[in-house]
Amino acid sequence: MKFGLFYEISVPRPWTRESERTVYQNALEQVQLADELGFDQVWAVEHHFLEEYSHCPAPELFLTACAMITKKIRVGHGIVICVPEFNHPIKIAERTAVLDILSGGRLEVGTGRSATWTELGGFRANPDTTKKSWDEFVRCLPKMWTQETFAYDGEFWSMPERTIVPKVYQRPHPPLWVAVTSPGTELDAADRGLGSLGLTFGQFAEQEKRIAEYRRRIRNCEPVGAFVNDQVSTVNFLYCHEDDATGRATGRRMADTFNYLASQLISAREAFPSRSYQSLGLLPQLRRQATGPDATEQAGEGLAFGGPQRVLHALKRWEAVGVDRVNFLMNAMEVIPQADVLASLRLFAKEVMPAFADDKVA
Amino acid sequence: MPTFGALELPTVVDRLATVRDLDTEAWSLPGAEILQLAFEVPRGTEALLPRAMHPAIPPYATVWVIRYPESPVGPFTLAQLRLMGRAGAHPRGLVLGAVASTAEAATALRERWGLPAVPGRVTFTRRHDRITATVIRDGATVLDCALIDPEPISGGDVQYIHSVTLAHAPLDGTTAPRLLQVDSRYTFKKAERGRPDVGLLVAPAWGAGQLRLLNPIAATATWVDTDLPRIRFVMDPEIPVVRGTRRIRESREE
Repeated sequence: MKFGLFYEISVPRPWTRESERTVYQNALEQVQLADELGFDQVWAVEHHFLEEYSHCPAPELFLTACAMITKKIRVGHGIVICVPEFNHPIKIAERTAVLDILSGGRLEVGTGRSATWTELGGFRANPDTTKKSWDEFVRCLPKMWTQETFAYDGEFWSMPERTIVPKVYQRPHPPLWVAVTSPGTELDAADRGLGSLGLTFGQFAEQEKRIAEYRRRIRNCEPVGAFVNDQVSTVNFLYCHEDDATGRATGRRMADTFNYLASQLISAREAFPSRSYQSLGLLPQLRRQATGPDATEQAGEGLAFGGPQRVLHALKRWEAVGVDRVNFLMNAMEVIPQADVLASLRLFAKEVMPAFADDKVA
Repeated sequence: MPTFGALELPTVVDRLATVRDLDTEAWSLPGAEILQLAFEVPRGTEALLPRAMHPAIPPYATVWVIRYPESPVGPFTLAQLRLMGRAGAHPRGLVLGAVASTAEAATALRERWGLPAVPGRVTFTRRHDRITATVIRDGATVLDCALIDPEPISGGDVQYIHSVTLAHAPLDGTTAPRLLQVDSRYTFKKAERGRPDVGLLVAPAWGAGQLRLLNPIAATATWVDTDLPRIRFVMDPEIPVVRGTRRIRESREE
């Protein structure tokens, strides 16, 4: 199992001149340490207008900074929004190629379509068509990265024949992923030979079922890229502390803060009824975990906070249900002081990571 | 923390409904038709929202016109203007103003659920290419709206957000301004979606200050079996709901 960091870049009010810079600088310091400690990846979201929850609208810039101060850690778009009002596909191909070059072939590319009215409405995107435009984009991207010339005439965009330069550094191209929040999207990933970049928390039984179906389905996929990226990644919170009770209490505070912030967002479906957003997705789950009947110890199932043994046990369970990678959120609204976040990373690397280095059984 | 509402409670207490008691029985309301229009509204609407709640990001409002063919007080049509926000982690729509088509319905809604309902003329008209609604109070039109070009969608795609009302309500021997959660249930029989259009909204007539409807989001029209439930949650309007919520009964059926 591989471990990574996952960044929303959550900035609490009041937004002073320095507060956003501080959150970014803290994140970069964490990434630099994670690289030294042997973490495998760092991911950054693309979100727009999500006050306090996420101030990360330009992940390619943050990831470039990450790449410039690290040696081995891979850098991942988690995700780039594949909706024409947000990103033109040519620009996606160009930007990601440059980042792959600058990082020396360390790029991973997650794709998705946004799930909030706050963002979709802000760009005046049509929620009805985001899944279709995402599908077009992910089928074009590998070709734009690899073909000498490319031309396209689709429903959402078109271009005459041109040479898109530069080409990606990795051969044949960076691994492609799909953000998976709503049930069923993992099957969209499998059908296209894409990695499942899970963005939901907890609940082993549900995840195990979905992972099994993903594995079964991807065996018969028609890959949109030059290879099948048969990997399942999930997201988790991380706060590891020598004292289990302290770790659990601090981790719970971070998770509650994150969930509460997430619940303030307007899901696409709340405002704009659409077949394209049939599932309620991640937000209702987080609302229940923030204040509802699930706001109990059970809501902590599989969450990586507490003492090293508790964290190790939780991650071994994730490994057993078929997860290949776990990416950690380590803060929300800076409720955990930076020194404590760094200490948590060090303790995790020392006490937990070795148990996953070569298939050791805990 | 997310920002909070900034309503100056003393400025509205005189026009709040007074709830008779918090033990009202539920109403079953079969065969209702609901027209909902959603619009983004300008920043600054937090002045209309109690301090207990968070504004939505971005702020938005819904116009609701509901035709109830059957109810314990007979058929009536109810129009509401709701400012959408968050009660803690939960999306909720604060009822700013309401007009009922019969005096009996208006009285019952005020006394039982704390809706700021007043009697008026409410029309709900279905045409081939649009569903229109108008509200007339004291001889003046205060709402003229429509869903344009309805297209069938699944009722499962529609998510109605529960309401909260701000009303004088008795609890522990004291009658004071309180937020009441009105969490109706919906069984969808048919649903349509179209473009929302509001030709006229006289905001002051809806207790909405100078509220303006800006970016249209979506409009839906549905046929549902619904209800007005027993009240379970009562909230202090001045304290964040995560600290100021009181559950007065365990279930809707109790």
